[in-house]
Amino acid sequence: MKRLFSISFLAGLLVVVLATTFWPLPTHLRYRSLITVPPDGGRQEEFVIRWPEDRIRLPGEDRAALPATAAVGAAVLEDSAGQRASAELFRLRDADDNVIGVATRLAGTGGAIADPGRSASNWLLVIPSRGALFLAQTDVQDTTLTEVPTADGPAVFAPEQTAAFWAERQRLLVTANAPATTSSVTTGRVLRGTSEFEGLRGSFSETWALDEVSAGGSTQGRILLSTFTAAGS
Amino acid sequence: MRALVVVLGLLLGLLVGASAVLLNPLAWLRGLPPLSGELAPFKAYRGEAYRGIDLRAGSLLRAGRQDPAVALNDPALRHVRIGIIVLPAGEGAPAALAVKVSAAAESNSLWRAQLGTNDYWNIYWPGGGSIFATGYSNFWTVTRDGFFATLGGDFSAAGAAGYPVSAPPTAGSAAGVTGAAGRYAGFTGEIRELLYPAAGEARGRDPNWAVAIKANPPPFTTR
Repeated sequence: MKRLFSISFLAGLLVVVLATTFWPLPTHLRYRSLITVPPDGGRQEEFVIRWPEDRIRLPGEDRAALPATAAVGAAVLEDSAGQRASAELFRLRDADDNVIGVATRLAGTGGAIADPGRSASNWLLVIPSRGALFLAQTDVQDTTLTEVPTADGPAVFAPEQTAAFWAERQRLLVTANAPATTSSVTTGRVLRGTSEFEGLRGSFSETWALDEVSAGGSTQGRILLSTFTAAGS
Repeated sequence: MRALVVVLGLLLGLLVGASAVLLNPLAWLRGLPPLSGELAPFKAYRGEAYRGIDLRAGSLLRAGRQDPAVALNDPALRHVRIGIIVLPAGEGAPAALAVKVSAAAESNSLWRAQLGTNDYWNIYWPGGGSIFATGYSNFWTVTRDGFFATLGGDFSAAGAAGYPVSAPPTAGSAAGVTGAAGRYAGFTGEIRELLYPAAGEARGRDPNWAVAIKANPPPFTTR
């Protein structure tokens, strides 16, 4: 009986050793990276976000209770001086339309951030199987979201999701051009990357493209993020 | 009788084995030194507005069932968490709006006492500026104490004081603060996070968190 107990005890230990060694810890699904290498070096990669479908709804948000033009998965913080910051959560797609990660857009106005009437925005692109990219730019106009009280509570509105915003255009290059005194063409900068993107620097541009205006005054479209990076540039 | 002895022996072996693995001394050796409380005070927040994994051992071990109300169902996002956070004003700093993305680290290893996430922050102070931050959070000690608490141990003091989950980044990942816009452009620094699982469980809600950030201006250069 004593021997049987000892063997069982050792079997239990062995199970733990095997589980610790071979337990299938989480890994992230990876899609083939769609990177273009220009003739003069570097790497170009395009990312796509579809609105409104790629917005990540937060718990407790009921899309049906919100106005058609309201944005889900977003928040606004405004101080007493009217200086504002807004945050948006998205799924991130590659050029083949696969959801490969998540993206967040934070934009802010006022004070030390940007000229009056404009905003500066940050993109955080996280592709779990590859790493993250940190992007920053000055916008051509104020692209922060606004919070408006409604009968069902406050609703957040994104400029690109309202039909009136597209009255005179189908596309908008959101990234402002750099001042002529600088050596760069665009204000869109890839500040840093992690994991596979570690050591990469470069530039990017953000473009909003309208696809459809619905009868209710809401819109559908795409946010196009075009990145150009190179090691240590 | 023989079956009972086998079951008892097996259970005891599993318990002793699991305890030995969880008591891996590497868990005590790893961890980042705290930042000065005067330079970088912790800001507490409740991380409720999130989608994706809940950062408990079950999710990080791929053994638990995700809450369908918050799960991200895209195949590439199964082990990701994303949320919006409002960092309150205080300690001489105004309120800030932040997003945090956590992804289960593929470099986790049960033999090396690593059960954590790669974390990515973007924080925006209205009218002030913004920063990015990245780090690795290791939930090994939280898991270990949770395991022994189910066996009758009392870890309420550790939970109330908060677990410093920030750990040195694993191979292939990075940590630190990168200034992005406004007055923080060009800044560099460090980030630390605390987890208060006891407070969260007592209310039956997601754990409370605290974050401390130290950011230094870029070095002066002369022409």
